[in-house]
Amino acid sequence: MNFDQAHVIVLNGVQTMSLFSCLFLPFFCALVAWLLKAEESTSAGQKTEPDWSSPVLDRHGQGSSLFHTWAPSIKIATLLIAAFVIVSLHTLAWALTALFCCALCVELTGMSWTRPLRRLAALGGFLGMLVVIVPLTSPVQSGETVLVLPGLPEWPYSLAGAHLALTIVCKAMAVALLMEPMLATSSLPQTLQGFTDLGLPASLNQMILLCHRYIFVFQEEMRRMQRSMRVRGFVPRTNIATLRTMGSGFGMLFIRSFERTERVYEAMLSRGYQGSFPAEVRQKITNMDLVKGVLFIMIAAILLAGDRLLPLILF
Amino acid sequence: MHHMAVRPPVDDERTTLFSLRQLAYTYPDGTPGLRSIDLDIFPGDRVALVGQNGSGKSTLIRHLNGLFLAQAGRCSYQGELITEAMVQGLRQKVGILFQDPDDHLFCNTLYDDVAFGPRNQGRRPEEVERLVHHWLGEVELDQVMYKPAHHLSYGQKKRAALAAILAMEPEVLILDEPTANLDPRQEAVFRRLLEQFTGALIAIDHDLLFLYGLCERAVVLAQGQVHHDYSFQQLAAEPQALCEHGLDFTFRFTCCGQHYHHDQYHHHHHGTHEHEVAGAHLHGESQQTDPIIELQHYWYSYPDTTPGVSNINLSLFPGDTLALIGENGAGKSTLAHCLLGLHRPEKNEGFYLLEGRPLARQDYRQLWRRVGMVFQNAADQLFSPSCREEVAFGPEQLGLSKTEVRRRVEQALELVGLSGYAKRPPLHMSGGERKRLAIAATLSLEPEVLILDEPTASLDPRSEELLLQILADLPITKILVTHDLFFVRQLCARTVVLHQGRIIRDYATHEFLADEHLQVVNGLDYTYKNSCYQEIQALQGISLR
Repeated sequence: MNFDQAHVIVLNGVQTMSLFSCLFLPFFCALVAWLLKAEESTSAGQKTEPDWSSPVLDRHGQGSSLFHTWAPSIKIATLLIAAFVIVSLHTLAWALTALFCCALCVELTGMSWTRPLRRLAALGGFLGMLVVIVPLTSPVQSGETVLVLPGLPEWPYSLAGAHLALTIVCKAMAVALLMEPMLATSSLPQTLQGFTDLGLPASLNQMILLCHRYIFVFQEEMRRMQRSMRVRGFVPRTNIATLRTMGSGFGMLFIRSFERTERVYEAMLSRGYQGSFPAEVRQKITNMDLVKGVLFIMIAAILLAGDRLLPLILF
Repeated sequence: MHHMAVRPPVDDERTTLFSLRQLAYTYPDGTPGLRSIDLDIFPGDRVALVGQNGSGKSTLIRHLNGLFLAQAGRCSYQGELITEAMVQGLRQKVGILFQDPDDHLFCNTLYDDVAFGPRNQGRRPEEVERLVHHWLGEVELDQVMYKPAHHLSYGQKKRAALAAILAMEPEVLILDEPTANLDPRQEAVFRRLLEQFTGALIAIDHDLLFLYGLCERAVVLAQGQVHHDYSFQQLAAEPQALCEHGLDFTFRFTCCGQHYHHDQYHHHHHGTHEHEVAGAHLHGESQQTDPIIELQHYWYSYPDTTPGVSNINLSLFPGDTLALIGENGAGKSTLAHCLLGLHRPEKNEGFYLLEGRPLARQDYRQLWRRVGMVFQNAADQLFSPSCREEVAFGPEQLGLSKTEVRRRVEQALELVGLSGYAKRPPLHMSGGERKRLAIAATLSLEPEVLILDEPTASLDPRSEELLLQILADLPITKILVTHDLFFVRQLCARTVVLHQGRIIRDYATHEFLADEHLQVVNGLDYTYKNSCYQEIQALQGISLR
């Protein structure tokens, strides 16, 4: 490859390791999340049954933070706008600022960091690959700085590519973190009601709610069927017999699921269902909800303005 | 010629609640559901709707709630024909509780589930709030009001489903197998609430002893027709009618009774450990044979930390017939799953010994060749397109020859009385037949130990009697997990009573049956049914057994 026009820096082993230590931040997050999970399962024995006699917003989300008390529809609309703004950022510095803001939001919810970190861990593999592949595959531009890694002279590591990859990683992590205050600080029905208020069809809302309820029932049925197969000596292998058995099992599960949907529908009809779920008392939109919305939109606007205007002013 | 005894139709429909005339219904696949039903139900009636599986009971109650509309004949409510136009109003007055509580609980919390009906009735939010609190309190679930249904036990779901119906304050309450799989304590909650209910009550249940205390009138259905319609006492007093309809439950039951104490000291047949307290291990009675299975200080907790069983010491000898009994949630099924090796404890939380040898992780596959289990819901165990394939599944997994597989399939099907069913799809079989097929599927592995979890649940009396005969004839070690004391008495020589995950008694069944104070400890109050049984025997002029 010809990179005569580029500024070439040849790295030694230590420099390479330092570089990759920084770039593999997502993997580090994944490791932390894994450790937290391990910690959670070890201390599981000390957990007590939550108090189910009072309304619970979310398993992780009992609280009175500014997100918990925010009307779901305004909250979702505002944070969705913020998410789109974050995605549209171009510079690494402002993407990092956005990441910091989103982390602050999670902290403000007062909830455990376990779930957000697990979410980041799920993204970790993909983002890690991005950090490795984008800089190595970016076309080298004139005047650009490239790093030549020991033993890989044919694969220059483009710093512009790394910059781009890290910007994407920061934006992805920021949006992933934003999901927590947006979706986990209200109960699922309230969140879906918020979406419905924003224009999501009510029937889709109901379907999601029913799916959420019965996915556990079907999961349990599938688990029991697999257990029955296992105790009768079934070991899944890569052969036709296994495929046939799995096919029969899934077929039976499908038929039973279908039968259940009919029974559930009958039970709903018998209790007066007329095509829509009866309305609960909805959370009213207050001035404070609107103030919060304006505040967050302003923060998003500052991020966008800084991202777009600051480079123009400085350079 | 079968003797039929039905009431003459009432001329003035206005005095009746439901009036059915020549009602007929055929399912879309051509299966006849109902044929020429003539029936009147009056305000305040308490009707037991009985009959064998497939006799048309469920089809009939769906007409009463407007879920099915009459294809032929007429069905009216308070003199008004039930039509598409009036079903909305009807459903707000006629509550129906289906068998599977999961069908009723489709909202995100119990509160929403119970509020669903009253909200559909258009009640004001404050009234909905009051009703939800009242009825969840009545079924003793107010402490879990905001819990999602999938986190509840089966008994809790069943009670929540009843609360969801009662919160609508219906004029008519229809119940389909209300007490299936419930222990006597939970059954008592149902009985109390149903006795308090002042509207018309229509109940389908195979547990005729439960119905006997609750209903005054019995309507017997057979092949989609009303065969008998008279007082429950008359039905109970006619053993011939009961036999003709496969409802003879008088072959049942029971009795009860000593103070519970928990043995601090125990005996193991094989040494695996020592205790810090000297003398904790007792010298046991000398047995001629070693136990097949021995659990020593066995603990199991579910992944969500719910305790399953605690400190279980249990030995199972060849030829043992053992009953595991206890209230809902006592740990019976969990212990059965432990015996099957499905629930394995963490390290140092107990010993599982198979023929005296501790069971290693890699030995579990061998264990399943020797211990078979028929799970509570037979449908879970059946996934093949035909009975032959279902029964052949296990032997085929063992890699047996085709001839041997065929021999085992034929033998197993014959043992459970299903010869000739080889090509039938399990999906099209009745509950009792499915249960027997599940037993055949397990027996084809020729296990030494057979575990049956609630074998009689949802079976009609005829299927129960057949099952009893099959199990009595099986010459292998059997473990029954059940609430059914009749089956315990008939099939088991030994009874293990569980309470809150622990074994509180392990003694001979005849001692258990004489244990008068057991119910105080764990809600095994069978004395109510016992008194019903004695009354029925008196009606039939039979001396007490």
